[in-house]
Amino acid sequence: MDDKYKDAETRKDNTSRVDHLKERVKELNCIYGITDLVHDTSKPFKEAMQSIVELIPLAWQHSDISEAKIIIDGLEFKTKDYKDTPWTQESKIKWDNKTVGTLRVAYLEEKPKMDEGPFLEGERRLIHAISDLLGKYMIDRGVKDSSLQELGRKKTLHENTDKAQWEVIIDLLMRTDPRMLLRITRKMVYYLYRNENKKITDLMQTVCPIERGPGIPQWCGINMPNPRQDMDTLKRIQKGVFEIARDTLSSEEISEQFQRWLREDKARPLLLASQRAGITLVDITDELNRFYENLGGEKSLAPEDSKAIRTSLLRRFFSERLEFINIAKKFITIDSFIPLLKRVIGPAQGAGKLGGKSSGLFLAKNIIQLELPVEEDTDWISFPKSWYLTSDTMMDLIQYNDLDEVLHLKYLEPEEIQQEMPILEHLFKSAVFSAEIIEGLRRILRDLEGRPIIVRSSSLLEDSFGAAFSGKYKSLFIANIGSEEERLSELMNAIGEVYASTLAPDPIEYRRERGLLDVNEEMGVLIQEVVGTRIGPYYLPAYAGVVFSRNEFQWSPRIRREDGIVRMVTGLGTRAVDRIGNDYPILISPRRPELRVNTTAEERVKYSQRYMDVINMEKGILETVDSIEVFRKYGEDYPCFKDVVSVYKDGGLSPISYLTNLKEEDLVVTFDKLFEKNDFVNRIRWIIDLLEDKLGIPVDVEFASDGEKLYVLQCRPQSQSKEIVRKPVPTDTSEEHKIFSANKYVTTGYIDNIEYVVYVDLQGYEALERREDMYKVAKVVSELNSKLPNRRFILMGPGRWGSRGDIKLGVPVVYRDINNTSLLVEIAREKGGYVPELSFGTHFFQDLVEADIKYLPLYPDNSETLFNERFLKKSPNHLSDILPNREEMEGIVRVIKISKLYKDCTMSVVMDGEKNEALGYIKPADHWEWRSDKLEEIAQDLDAELYGVKAFYVLGSTKDGTAGPGSDIDIIIHFDGDEVQRDKLLSWFKKREKEIMDVSSERAKKISGDLFDIHIITDKDIEKRTSWAAHIDSPYGSAREIPLD
Amino acid sequence: MAAKGFNAYKMAQEQFDRIADKLELYEGTRELLRTPMREYHFTVPVKMDDGKVKVFQGYRIQHNDARGPCKGGIRFHPQETADTVRALSMWMTWKCAVADIPLGGGKGGVICDPHDLSEREQERLCRGWIRQIVKNIGPVEDIPAPDVMTTAQHMLWMMDEYEHIAGGKYPGAITGKPVGHGGSLGRTEATGYGVVFILRESLKELDIDISDTTAMIQGFGNVAQHAAELYIEYGGKVLGVSCWDQEDSKAYSYIRKNGIDLEELRGITNRFGSVDKEKAEELGYERLPGDDWIAQEANILIPAALENAITGDNVDWIKPSVKLIVSGANGPITPEAMDVLEGKDIMVIPDFLANAGGVVCSYFEQVQNNTNYYWPKEEVLGKLDDKMTSAFYGVMDLAKRKNIPIQAAAYMIAISRVVDACRMRGWI
Repeated sequence: MDDKYKDAETRKDNTSRVDHLKERVKELNCIYGITDLVHDTSKPFKEAMQSIVELIPLAWQHSDISEAKIIIDGLEFKTKDYKDTPWTQESKIKWDNKTVGTLRVAYLEEKPKMDEGPFLEGERRLIHAISDLLGKYMIDRGVKDSSLQELGRKKTLHENTDKAQWEVIIDLLMRTDPRMLLRITRKMVYYLYRNENKKITDLMQTVCPIERGPGIPQWCGINMPNPRQDMDTLKRIQKGVFEIARDTLSSEEISEQFQRWLREDKARPLLLASQRAGITLVDITDELNRFYENLGGEKSLAPEDSKAIRTSLLRRFFSERLEFINIAKKFITIDSFIPLLKRVIGPAQGAGKLGGKSSGLFLAKNIIQLELPVEEDTDWISFPKSWYLTSDTMMDLIQYNDLDEVLHLKYLEPEEIQQEMPILEHLFKSAVFSAEIIEGLRRILRDLEGRPIIVRSSSLLEDSFGAAFSGKYKSLFIANIGSEEERLSELMNAIGEVYASTLAPDPIEYRRERGLLDVNEEMGVLIQEVVGTRIGPYYLPAYAGVVFSRNEFQWSPRIRREDGIVRMVTGLGTRAVDRIGNDYPILISPRRPELRVNTTAEERVKYSQRYMDVINMEKGILETVDSIEVFRKYGEDYPCFKDVVSVYKDGGLSPISYLTNLKEEDLVVTFDKLFEKNDFVNRIRWIIDLLEDKLGIPVDVEFASDGEKLYVLQCRPQSQSKEIVRKPVPTDTSEEHKIFSANKYVTTGYIDNIEYVVYVDLQGYEALERREDMYKVAKVVSELNSKLPNRRFILMGPGRWGSRGDIKLGVPVVYRDINNTSLLVEIAREKGGYVPELSFGTHFFQDLVEADIKYLPLYPDNSETLFNERFLKKSPNHLSDILPNREEMEGIVRVIKISKLYKDCTMSVVMDGEKNEALGYIKPADHWEWRSDKLEEIAQDLDAELYGVKAFYVLGSTKDGTAGPGSDIDIIIHFDGDEVQRDKLLSWFKKREKEIMDVSSERAKKISGDLFDIHIITDKDIEKRTSWAAHIDSPYGSAREIPLD
Repeated sequence: MAAKGFNAYKMAQEQFDRIADKLELYEGTRELLRTPMREYHFTVPVKMDDGKVKVFQGYRIQHNDARGPCKGGIRFHPQETADTVRALSMWMTWKCAVADIPLGGGKGGVICDPHDLSEREQERLCRGWIRQIVKNIGPVEDIPAPDVMTTAQHMLWMMDEYEHIAGGKYPGAITGKPVGHGGSLGRTEATGYGVVFILRESLKELDIDISDTTAMIQGFGNVAQHAAELYIEYGGKVLGVSCWDQEDSKAYSYIRKNGIDLEELRGITNRFGSVDKEKAEELGYERLPGDDWIAQEANILIPAALENAITGDNVDWIKPSVKLIVSGANGPITPEAMDVLEGKDIMVIPDFLANAGGVVCSYFEQVQNNTNYYWPKEEVLGKLDDKMTSAFYGVMDLAKRKNIPIQAAAYMIAISRVVDACRMRGWI
């Protein structure tokens, strides 16, 4: 309550500050305008006077009902509706102490009482300042124009001809706006400093000596004080500063600087507004628009102000993360927020953000637009029309519909959440958006009329915690057909479903694991047009895909990680972004497009795309269709058809020609012509090079093309991609636990929980004399592949897995024989002075990629790497345990069971492509650490108040670090609640226990009873020092307290 | 070279020695035929895309050209060994001889992995290979063809380079070219049809009416489909095929007791010979495990997919109804299984006779190139029938006359033909 109140107060304060500032800006505009007119000697006197009188009312608070009149030398100048009213302010125009005229400002209506009648204090100062200015002007001009001629002649010539414009402004400011004068003085000091002016250094020395003692004021040139503190000193400095300026700089230079500074100063309202915490969407939008209209954009700002505003706006809409802001502020201009905010929908009084996905894309867009070479044709690249729902729209919806209880679902068991999902989805889908949001959604629909829409989640967590939420939340396509009402309902449905997906078991689990569960997930939504064209009933892009700036699937030693990789398909990019399994996207390296994954026509046909994802505009659904049928049927209506499709004939691939009969030929997706033309590859490369360079990290960019332009759909750090999580190679592994290491052609990956190593003995295989024996080895591998636990074993063998023809070079397996392994290791042993080349998995490379089976080549004869041949050759062979009828193969195929050699251990392989290092090692059992970690987690999560828990202790093996695989965890709970709480507490522990056991099923098998052994003690027990209670203050430290959160 | 282990050349020599013993060849003859007559080993410098030069190891081995110009493939393989190529060139000599076409045996290649080469680099490699060996190959000397990891495109680059250097049009310098660029019609059908020409004649030998027979085919790719096509045309009934299912990563046998409908099955098969399993079941095909094709009550088995299809493990599954096995693929029967089969009442047609249709068609391509006159498809297939049929009877007559297994008879015929040519030329 208190906080809320305080917030409101600060906000009010801020608002009045901003109002005040707006007034200053008006005054400034007025003074500035008048100064301009006064200095324009070419303008006839009367005309100038009329312009001046019309400028004046604008500076007053109620400018709409303000009028002004100047009477001077018998001449009268006034605004159109001027009349004398009871609410009038007047100032005499004087020259040489003689009144020569009057200036009057009148309000046409009564207004609330302010400092002086309805007028502000500042307005009094202003009116004096103006009349003063007019007096001087009269003298200047009067020489020629009026009867004041004689009066002024001498003095004018003597005093005023050399009084420059800037000096007039200083005079004015001194009277009207000392704070602003202070800012200008400061800027002048900087300016002079910058020119290494000695005088200014000396001046500053006098007011702010370097040797600061306790008695010396704590301010100097850098930290100007508040003027109220010491007006006199300040004036002295000001005077000094401008004297130095006059002496060293030309009058024009100073005037020029002044004009700039005055202009820059007008951005202060925006600066303050943008820095206001929690400023509402509508306020900041207003402020930005005003800034843009009044000042014409960022170019009129001082660099430091523009930086400050950029930073605050970025923080307000995108992210608090410094890494992001530091980069984004270089590229995202204030001006670019103006069109952006036109497309932001959210509660007008809310302060939501746009989320990670939107930030990434918006930043990429600004970088690209800024860096596009101007002289070249820049039409080729574009961005889909995008709209943004702010993150608080979701909360708004929840509150508007009283759905608050759904937020607590995340604390349920995954299975329970799963059960709740349909209801949850229904709740969100049937919830009613508030009128302002609906109005916004209608604007989106009108803007994107006629093309399908994709509704994508744009999570804030994704952005601020660096966690990879990609693929965890939904992205939904809608056809956007029918009446506006129908389309609106479709759109709201989709948004509801995306919202519901934040509470789906998978992301909740993921958040739980990362300790992000208690943070309220705020989900922005990005609504984009789908890039593409209509063909028959379908809507689809010509092609789409994703490009990574690091290639984790090198298919040739000539391709480096830095060369990047593109996965692309015809139709919607969904098939390129996700792995489909039985269908293949085209893979190319944007830096080595000529080194294709598949070289022979047959391979290329085999690993080509068969199906594509399209939006069926008649049925209004996302569909998967046979791609070849689409090509056959619509042929050249398909955008850049000839670029993406080739003809397979007589064992060769050739381009589509004029003569090609589409109905008869065998068509294959190859993208041959597209790659041949170079534009595409060069452009893709340009994009990732640029983004990687500017963002300073490897990126992953989604793109699509309608056949004419290349659209950038998404940009994010590659480390947030689904599979590529980089882990450093551990350095603390003991020598005896190392099995192999590698330092060549390493890709990034991490394989854990390896229970078996299948090793085909190099010499044994080499010594086989008959082809059928080699096939038998393949057969045994195949049988092991189906018997061993899925993805819990690795295959290690000589040379080229999957050899054809010369099968002596490697075990002649086909993909199905190895499809359950988690890693394929090829060992290149030196033979007769040369090291054989390895296959890099080329025989089934794309199958490996699509199934996420890692590949690693080993060069055991390289002295810098390690190859534990003893482990591989001498460990007990479990082949015949698994395949009892294959005993005769034991000499060649060795199955090593890790847990038999190292109790309760598994093997891990860490591959760090970035450093080109890999290590396969035995992972020591970490029973103690694991238990300890779990306890800490529990202590964090335990709601002590709710369950009446006062303290929480661990003892026994977990505390002593001696826990084994079967150990339980002894806990003492200092309890201070009632019976109900006690029951609740115990059942809470049961639930957690089950969760832990479910997640770690391997470990759970080894624990015979319960994981937790809970001992509850009360104050009384402690008093009496009953057996368990005695532990907690035992001098031997037998129990350790775990702090509760 | 490793002292122990599988060595293809050694194995080919041993096989030759066994036949030579039976043929009672002289020592000089043996020595000539045990080793290739000429071997060319050379370097092929290639300017890579990055401007650097990489030197590749190229070679061409000509085993014997007594019966005519050498014929054999070019392999791009990263771990090629000279011994493998020697063995392969020898097998080419026997294969051409058993089919009785006037060609000798050769083989060649480059040690490289095309996966690591761009298309332009591959082109430069092909042209470089020709420049180094141009004096020793050509339509009247040695005619290369595609093999492991080489394609029709590679052949066209090579032909083009050859013609540039030779200063004329010599499409017959290389075979395996696309139709319209010197390739022959009927090439797609040749191997599958060749298998059935032999099958037809074998049944005549067994005195079985082809229209009373049933067959099981392993595979449903190019060879299998064309074999099924012609066999059905002759009145036979195909009970089923086995094929690879890409989705499930395993093979299935699709069986329909009253016979498959080839067109129907082709309609639900993709270009790699994978049958759509749901649709097949809707059409009444029974889907069984991949290996079950062997264990069906058919009269004929045609393994036309992979090496080592019939092994010691599954040879006993073969039903007594089976009278004939024709090997469409290379090496589909392991020696272990072969021993078992010889003890049974089953006629086995060895691969290098049964699938010789491919090399015969290459020969036809070269003949058409050299005369610069191209035959219609029917003529190519008609001539193929003649060649295959007479080759079969050549082998069959000997087998019957000497009462020896067909495989042995085929080797004997082939080797004797080469020996005769050498002798007539006065080499031995």
